[in-house]
This record gives sequence, structure tokens and C-alpha cells, in this order.
Amino acid sequence: MAMLEVRDLHVQFRTDDGLVKAVDGLSFNLERGRTLGIVGESGSGKSVTSLAIMGLHRSSDKGSGTEITGQIRLDGEDLVSSSAERVRQLRGSKMAMIFQDPLSALNPYYSVGAQIGEAYRVHNKVSKQVARKRVIDLLGRVGIPQPTVRVDDYPHQFSGGMRQRAMIAMALSCDPELLIADEPTTALDVTVQAQILDLIVDLQAEFGSAVIIITHDLGVVAEVADDVLVMYAGRVAEYGSGGDVFRQPGHPYTWGLLGSMPRLDVARVDRLRPIRGTPPSLIHVPSGCPFHPRCAYPPQVGGDRCSTEIPALLETGPGHRVACHLMLAKQQELWAKLAPGSAGSAAAATEETVAAEQTAAAEQTAAADEVASAEQGEDVTEVEAT
Amino acid sequence: MITFIIRRLITTVFLLVVVSIITFAIFFLIPRLAGQNSAELAAQYVGRNPTHSAIVQMEAKLGLNEPLQEQYWRFLSGIVVGAHYNSGPSVTYCPPPCFGYSFRSQQPVWPQMVAALPVTLSLAIGAAVLWLVGGVSVGVLSALRRGTLFDRFSMGVALAGVSLPIFFTGLISLELFSYKWPIFPNVQYVPITTNPALWARNLVLPWVTLAFLYAALYARLTRAGMLETMDEDFIRTARAKGLRERNVVVRHGLRAALTPILTIFGMDLGLLLGGAILTETTFSLPGLGQFTLLAIQNQDFPEIMGVVLLAAFFIVIANMVVDILYAVIDPRVRL
Amino acid sequence: MRRRSRLAFAACAVTAGLTLAACSSGGSSSSGGSSSGSSASGSTTAAFNSGVNTVVNPSTTKGGTLTYGVAATPDSFDPGNTYYAWVLNLNRLWATPLLTYKSCTGGCGDTLVPGTATSLGQVSSNGLTWTYHIKQGLKFEDGSPITAQDIKYAVERTYDRSVMENGPTYFVNILTDPKYPGPYKDPNGDFTGITTPDQNTIQFHLQAPFPDFNYVVGAFSQTAPVPKAKDTGSNYQLHPQSTGPYMFQSYQPNKQLVLVPNPNWTQNEDTEARQLASKIVVNLNMNAQDLDNRLIAGDVDIDAQGIGVQAAARAKILSSPTLKNDADAVPGNRAWFTYLNTKVAPLNNVNCRQAVEYAANKTDLQTAWGGPYAGGQVATTLLLPGMNGYSSFDLYNAKTAPTGDLTAAKAALAKCGQPNGFTVGASYRSDRPAETAAIQALQAALTRVGIKLQLHGYPSGSYYSTFAGAPNYVHQHNLGILQGGWSPDWPDGYGMMDELVAGNTIVATGNTNIGELNDPTINSLFQQTTKPGLTTAQVGAIYGQIDKAAMAQAVILPNVYATNLLYRSPAATNVYAFAPYGEYNYAVIGASS
Repeated sequence: MAMLEVRDLHVQFRTDDGLVKAVDGLSFNLERGRTLGIVGESGSGKSVTSLAIMGLHRSSDKGSGTEITGQIRLDGEDLVSSSAERVRQLRGSKMAMIFQDPLSALNPYYSVGAQIGEAYRVHNKVSKQVARKRVIDLLGRVGIPQPTVRVDDYPHQFSGGMRQRAMIAMALSCDPELLIADEPTTALDVTVQAQILDLIVDLQAEFGSAVIIITHDLGVVAEVADDVLVMYAGRVAEYGSGGDVFRQPGHPYTWGLLGSMPRLDVARVDRLRPIRGTPPSLIHVPSGCPFHPRCAYPPQVGGDRCSTEIPALLETGPGHRVACHLMLAKQQELWAKLAPGSAGSAAAATEETVAAEQTAAAEQTAAADEVASAEQGEDVTEVEAT
Repeated sequence: MITFIIRRLITTVFLLVVVSIITFAIFFLIPRLAGQNSAELAAQYVGRNPTHSAIVQMEAKLGLNEPLQEQYWRFLSGIVVGAHYNSGPSVTYCPPPCFGYSFRSQQPVWPQMVAALPVTLSLAIGAAVLWLVGGVSVGVLSALRRGTLFDRFSMGVALAGVSLPIFFTGLISLELFSYKWPIFPNVQYVPITTNPALWARNLVLPWVTLAFLYAALYARLTRAGMLETMDEDFIRTARAKGLRERNVVVRHGLRAALTPILTIFGMDLGLLLGGAILTETTFSLPGLGQFTLLAIQNQDFPEIMGVVLLAAFFIVIANMVVDILYAVIDPRVRL
Repeated sequence: MRRRSRLAFAACAVTAGLTLAACSSGGSSSSGGSSSGSSASGSTTAAFNSGVNTVVNPSTTKGGTLTYGVAATPDSFDPGNTYYAWVLNLNRLWATPLLTYKSCTGGCGDTLVPGTATSLGQVSSNGLTWTYHIKQGLKFEDGSPITAQDIKYAVERTYDRSVMENGPTYFVNILTDPKYPGPYKDPNGDFTGITTPDQNTIQFHLQAPFPDFNYVVGAFSQTAPVPKAKDTGSNYQLHPQSTGPYMFQSYQPNKQLVLVPNPNWTQNEDTEARQLASKIVVNLNMNAQDLDNRLIAGDVDIDAQGIGVQAAARAKILSSPTLKNDADAVPGNRAWFTYLNTKVAPLNNVNCRQAVEYAANKTDLQTAWGGPYAGGQVATTLLLPGMNGYSSFDLYNAKTAPTGDLTAAKAALAKCGQPNGFTVGASYRSDRPAETAAIQALQAALTRVGIKLQLHGYPSGSYYSTFAGAPNYVHQHNLGILQGGWSPDWPDGYGMMDELVAGNTIVATGNTNIGELNDPTINSLFQQTTKPGLTTAQVGAIYGQIDKAAMAQAVILPNVYATNLLYRSPAATNVYAFAPYGEYNYAVIGASS
């Protein structure tokens, strides 16, 4: 049994504008001692997933409009159907979380030592002195110099990196079995990023906990993640080990992500290749495959399958799943052309761009026609692809 | 911190001097600009049908025919070193701080202010405790139950509290609870040293009237502050640690939301100590506020100057205490 | 939001009070507090206005606590240093002058009778020396005997205006040795204006004959004895040595005065005062609205200021039969006037002034002042009804045409060369709601004949010192019409009219002859009253002539003979309207509980 098993998780928010489907059918497993990197753009549902695991939607007063269905099994116990009180007991003790901006995530009015001590004493009935010793110990473990002095300092007296270390210390105070790090390095500069990531890896090795790292930074994922989960519009786009996803990605979105990264080992190109378009609204998720409006390959799939049929998460290799209608062979062929450093990548890139533009144009026309005919009250069936 | 306090105290003295000059100018210069001369000014303090010599004597006694700078200097030196006062058969020494003698009653001003101060203190501090506890609680509860009937109702009442003038709520409460149903009959100030139970009982109506206004304000402020604070990231962190919601609200939410509230509270209390004029007049409480009103109605310059400076002093000190408090409460602030 | 205009409090409080009144009562007898008038005596004596001419709750029972309340502060409780009517009235509890007013109802109250003196003053044939003999065996509160020197000292000390600044200045103006600086500045000097041939005789030496000298002595408390050894100057007000039925137990200035019976007082010392209640409490500086409520509730027995209840309480009282039984519309020893200045054009022409008199709407003026109960009767003369020499004449048809005689007004305007009216400035005290209403009523009335008033409001405190009472200011600002009022120092023609219309009373500041009338006929009539040997009737006749002459000159437009609606607690005994002050007689009131 995996440490964390998520099955068909749906998280929806009821808003004045409509029902926001933040997470729309998410499933994955995470074993002890392994690190999962969840990747995606803003609005892909990565943070919402982590908050759902921690049960933090329920206790906030905005939670009244939140609906969570599915299963989240932590060490065999389903958190979705557990009481709020039970989840609270697990929070901080069995599962812990660190956040993106340690300056705003720490209470400015209490010393760092007090806050970490508080985290410890919530789940352990010990005296303040005992807690303080533990805190100093933790601060030392996360690499903060002079911990006996710094334990009484306030968050604003720490540098950015030190603050994040303190946050990590706070999260680890009760020896959690699951650590979720939500964009832990985004607010830090690059040199410090490396240190923090190293720290997380070391601590994981030492404590044996499962780690989820949520990020939009592929470099971070490549560095530390054993497994990678690519999310798009609240759904899984691709899921597999780090090696699989980086070397043999199957989803066009993943290709776009990888392709849009600047690289040192490739000849300089004139421009970076962004993924055309913007992330979709989670209220009005596109029909069929949510990525299809930005994807260059629906023509390769043929017909209008991409715009009408939601792709299932299919296994393309051992432990490697992709949610795309493209045939496996086609995926490998296209990736071979696109892979940075391959001979035909530049040309293929252009080809892809052109194709994507055409698709986009067709989509626009189709959309316009649809609107027009909707106004005229007619049904639209076929869209001619050029 | 010590240097801060010293610097502030020096600024306080300077500020009080400026306030005294401005008050002095308002009292003496403006009527002059309207054409009043010192004889006409002196005539206000003599009885009906004064003889010419009576007016002249009064002018001389009050020093009204001296140049303004000399009058001001005499006043200032009185505060610092005291002054001698001719009460007729004898000359009394008025020790510093000597705010002079009332133009009207010939009685020394400072002892009168000192006698009035406990009344105002009783009123202000009692009401302050009520409004702080009441207002903040209602505000916190409203914030936590935003949108519910409780929230809407309490904010509605708060709107009323903030909008209704004190002389209205005071007179209504007297009419209902003192005359119609004699729950608090004969509201009259009784010193706490004479009879603590009666002191408290007679102050309940003024306390509640005054506190109602401020509690309403603080409820709205606290609610707004709490709503803002509960959206902060560190609240999410506190929950993520597994803290009970109650502790999240109180230890993390309230602690942060209260910081600006407490500083406003310091200012409000400082202002009130200068005299809650409306409340004191409505309930006939002989405090600094009533003293101020009487002084103004009687155009009694030494008394006016006395209360103005005392009130200014309280406000400035309250300002300083608030700044110190802020530095103590918020570790990010350096004095 | 939290700071409100402090001086606007009074106006707002009245509004709030009116709202309250509108909400409460309305016919049915609301509360009425403790022992309401209906139960209590049950006697026929407790009825509306019964206190005006009869004694309500007559009683000689001793004991109980009598509570006075005042929505003001005294100018001074030092008997030598006060000019307020209510303080003079209250003074008689601890200060007995040589003469005092007789404690009786109606016009009888204006009579002077002996206080510490054995009889009214004996005047020498040339009118320049007045002699009084002092009763034997009178004592101060500490048991020390009262001597003539104590009375002389009491008057002497009022000469130092830098210490005793509030009291009347008649002695200074009338007695010889007017430049005497007072005993504080001249401790060894001797004041020759008064001599004391022996322990029990005192003689006043005048510069010129002054037939009303008994009033100078009896209308105020400046001749109440003061022991020199215990005189503390400006602090004497904190504990004057009592020569009356009560003495100071405690006095917190601006807060409360508590009086207890003076053990060393005998009835002989002042036949007109009574020592009944075992404690008298005077609560000072109360909130006016609150005071009225406490009166009605029974927490306070009498409003010592005696100028009537506020508008809200008035409405409550007049609309409730039970409460009305305990109220009196007391003649207030005062008249409200409009002065017409003789130096501001075109009012310098008597015909223009008469036009104003004709055109005024007396009914509206009465309503503005508060109606017949709280405002008063429509006035047509300077003298108050009941005064010696009063006759009810009506030169300007106020009785026959109470809303104004516009025809006569227009004719008068034509005669003064302003057939279409004119514009002139008008002054009033803007912090007095009734006075403001009155000048607005006048303004509306005069517009009908083309006389336009430009209103200018001024604060009461400096009205007479700096504005209406400063002729220079009046001329500069074209104030031809000025509101004011007059309460005589003593109830006769001199007290009522001298300072209003005698030519020699015009001064630069604190002027009361606001019309600035300097008419030789009137001036000589005043002179005639000082002739020695005139009978009371003859003196009255001369004052009557002055009244008519001044009204013919139209320097004053009388509005109302003021009445105050007073409320008396059913628990108070011996309550009746006292003519010389226009209030109840505080020297005789007792408590029944």
C-alpha cells in the first residue's frame, strides 16, 4: 500500500460566476521515501490538490462553497470522508506543508522558535522547555547557524533562504510521513534554491518521508523528483518517472513545456518557443481534451476526436501514463522530431508552429460559426479542417 | 527606547508651547481683529453696569492692557515657576504648574482641573474597558460569521451606534432607565473613595452611552481587520500546523488584527481624557469636559488655556505611548 | 464625527428634548415621579398658578432635606460680590442685610422691611445722611457679635473692584469718598463715606440726595456683615461667615453647596427668613434638560435659577393635568424689549421709530417669547405692572391692533420721509432661541410696511460689553434695532427706567441706555424725583410721566412683561412667587421629607 493514494479527486468551487472545476479527476500514488513533482502552469490545479490533501479547504471560511469528492488515502485512511477534527490531528503531525513565500507564511508577531515550538506542541504534550530544545535541534538540522541565538529571532530578521529553512524545520517538527512543498523555491534566488532543494532531499533520505514538490519550474523537478505528474486544467496530462517524462514525453503539453525551456546544450535559437494560447478558464473547460485549443496535433488524430472525446489516461510504458488521443507510435515519432538537439527539431518546430496556427485559425472560425449559427438557431456538425 | 522617549518628551514640550500660543492668539487676537479693545474685554468679567473705574481695575488685575507678549510671558512663567496672586487681604503663592486664576470666580485653575480629572478618568476608563471588550468581541464574531444574521444584525446596530449622537442616546437612556423605570435613579457622580458601589452604579448609564458609540466603531474596525487578517498566508500556515481553529483565530488572527486596533484605542483614550464633553454635560458629571464647556461659555481665559493644554498633553502622551506600544507589539517596528 | 460644535450643544439639546417630549406623554399623565400633585396635599392649594398669589403648602414643620438645582453657576456666593437675582434670593439664607424684602405674596413682596436694622433708614433733612440702628444681640455663625463696624467693612471691601468685581456699584457712585481704594489696598485708611458713631449705629454719607437709598441697602446683600478678621478676599466666597438661618457645611465650586442650620441665628435677626429644613443642598451646573426631569421626578425640589423650565418640560407640564397643578406662571420681574437707537439713521427721526412701534406684531412677539405662560403678557409700557406709577397706557395700539396697525405705521413713515420703508441693521443674541425667534418675528412684521431688517447675531457673554452696549460699535454697524431685556435692580421707577432712558447713563461700554436717549424733559423729571419730602404717590406720578414720555419718544418697543413657568415640588413647603426677584421666595421654603 502506498503512503498516499489519490483516486479520482474532484475539487469544485461554487462561485458567483459559475462552478470552478479546479481539480477534475486526479489520481496518483506516492510511496514512502519517494518524491513526486507536480508540474503545471498557474491554474492547473496543483496547489488546490495539495490543499485538498491537507484538508485546508474545509477549515477556511470560504470552504462553504467547496466540494471535494473522491478518495485521498493517507497510509490507508481516507481523508475525504474523515471528520474535520481527525484531519486536523493529522495535519502537521503525519502530513506537513511548506509554502511559497516564507515571509508572509510566518506570523511576524511571534519568534520563529515560538512558531516552530507551537507546531510541535500541538501534537506532543511536552513542556515549553522540552519543545524549545527540540526547536533548537531542528534549526541546527536544517542548517541554520547559531540556532540557540536565532531561535528567539523574528521572521523578518532572517534572510529568505534561512526563513525557508525555518519553515522546513517547522514542517518536520513532528516527523511527518508526507511533506508537501508548494513552490518552495520560487521566492528565492537561484543559489539559495539549490541549497533548499538539497536540504529537502537530505531530510527525505534521513526521515524516509514521502515528498510532493509542486512547481512550475521543470528544472526543480528534474533535480529532485522521482516521479512527475503533469497537470493541465485540473486533469492529469502525463504521469511517470522522471526519466520517462523527460526523455520520452508523450503529451504535446509536456513537449511544449520541455521545448519552451532555454537550454545550454543546444545551439542558440532566435526565440524561445512558448506554448501558444493561454490556460483555459476552469469554469468553461474546453470540451473533449482540455488542451486541444492549443495543441498542434488534433489533425494527426483525425476527425474531431480531440474536441469531443476526453482522452483517457493510458499506459504507454511501465508506470508511464499519458492522456492523449495520439497513437503511441505517433507520439514517439513526433517527439523524436521535436526533441531539442535532434536534427529536424528546428524545422519540426516551425512545422509545428504553422500547424498550430492553422488549427487555431480553424478553431476560431469554427467558434465564430458556432456562435453565428447558434444565433440563427442552427446546429453545427462538421468543421472543415484545412 | 530611552532616547526615543526623551526625544518625544522634548517634542511634547515644544508642541504644547505651540498649542498655547495658538490658543492665546485665538482668545486675544481674534476679538481684536473684530474691533474689541481691552476695556470691552475686561467689561465681560465685571458685573452689570460696571463703573469706569471698575473696568479699569479689572483690566489692570487681569493684565489685559499689557502688550500681548507680556501677557503670554506672564502666563508661561506662571506654569514653570508659579505666580503670586493677590486675593485681597493677602497674597497667595500659586505653585507650579500655575495656570492662573479664573477670570470669573477668582479661584485657582489647576486645583479645579485636578478635582475634575478623576471624574473624567472614571468615565473614560470605564467606558474604554466596555467598548474594547464589547466592540472587539462583536467584531471578531461578525468576521468569523460573515454574512450570517448575527453579522448583519450586529453591523446594523453598529451603524446606529456610530451615527446616533451622544446627547440623543444619553437623554434617551436617562429618560428610560432613570426616570421611567428607576433602575438608575439620580445619576450623580460619587467618588470611588466615598462609595465604590454607588460610584459604579451611577456611572453605568454614562459608561454604556459613551461605550456604545465607540464599541460600534471598534466592532466595524475589528471585523474589517479580522477579515483581512484571516486571508493572510500565515493563517493558512497555522492551520497547516494542525492548530485548533479557535487557536488559529485567537493566537494568530486576533493577534495580528488587534495591533492597529490597540493603537487606535490609545489615541481614542487620550482624546477622551481631555474631557468627554457631550457625555459629561448630558449626565451632569463634573469632569474636565463640563469644565471646558463652562470655561468657554464664561470666556474664562485661564481655564480655557488650562484645559486646552491638559487635553493636548494627554493626546501627545497618548501618541507617544501608542508608538511605544506599537514597537513592543510589532517586532518589525523600530523606534 | 466625534467632535461636535461645543456651543451648538444647547440648541441640539433643546431639539433632542423636544423630540423626547413629542415621543413621551401627549395627554396621559406620564410618570410625574414620586408624590405627584394629585395625591400629596390633595388640597385645593395645589393647582396651576396657585403659587402666584397664595402660599402653597404652608407649614412650620422643621426637618427634611431641601434640594435646589441650578443649570448654571453663581457669579459668587460672597454676599458682597453678586449681582444675579437667584443668588441674591438664595443669599438671604446666610447673609442678612440691613434691610430686606417682606416675605409675602403679590406686590406686598416689594416692600422693604428691617433686616439687621431696627427700622428703615432715617434720612437727614438735606437728604445727604442716612442713619440705621442695628438690633442688639445679633451674632455670626461662630457666636461672635455683629457690630456696625462689620457692616461698614462689608461695604468698604466692595470698593476694591479687582477683588470684588461682580457686585453692584451703587455705593461707589452715591457715597462720598468714591476714590477709596478698598481695605486691601489701603488697610489703615479710613473710609469716610460711612461712619459708625457707636457699635449699633451706622451712617451713610451721600454726595447728592438719593431717595431710593433704602433700596440700595436692601435690594442687595452688600450690607450683610463681614468680620474683617475672617475676610479672605476672593476666597471668602468659599465660606462666608453666616448671619442668616443657614451656614455653609461644604462648598465645591461649580458642583454643590450644602447648608445646615446656623445655631447662632435667632428669628429676631431676620424676621422674614425661616429655619425649617435640616439640610439644604444646592446642586450647581446641572444639565438643563436633566434638571427639569429631576424636578418632575422629585429628585430636585426647586430650580433655583428661577427662569423657568426648558421647552420640552414646558410642553410636558402644560399637557399633563397632574403636573400642571404643580406649576406657576410667575411674573419674572423682567421685561423683554426692542431698543430703537436714536443715532442710527433714519431712526434718528422719532416718526420712523414710531412707525416701527405701530408695525410690530405683538401677538407674534409674544408667541416667539414663549406664549402667555412662558413668554409673558404683551407689554406696552416701560414700568412693570404693580410698580409705583404704572398705568396701562397704549400709545401704539398694541391692544386694539395686536398684529400691528399698518395704517398708522405707513402714516408715520410718510412723516419721517421714508414712505416706502427703509433698511436698517438689527442685533440680537444668537445663543438665545427665544430672542432669535423674537427678532425674526419682528423682521417679518416690519417687512409688511417696507422696513427691512438685516439681522446680526452676537454671543450673550459680550453682547453688552462689546456689541449692543458699545455705542461706537452700534453706530459703525448701523444697528438701529437691538433686542434686549431689563430686570430692575429694585422694583420701582428708578430701578426700571433710569439706566434705560436717563441721559447721563450713556457709557462707552456696558451701556444700557441703548436707545441713547438724552431728552432734557425726561432728564429733569428724573431730577425731580430726588426732591426731598415727596410722598410715594407723588413720586409714582413722576415716574408715570417719565414712562409716557419715553414711550412717546419710541426709544423702546416693549415686547412682553416676562413670565416664567416654574415647577414646584409637592414636597416643598411655603412656596410662593416673590415679586422682587420673579422667583419663589427661597428664604422661607422648607422640606416635608
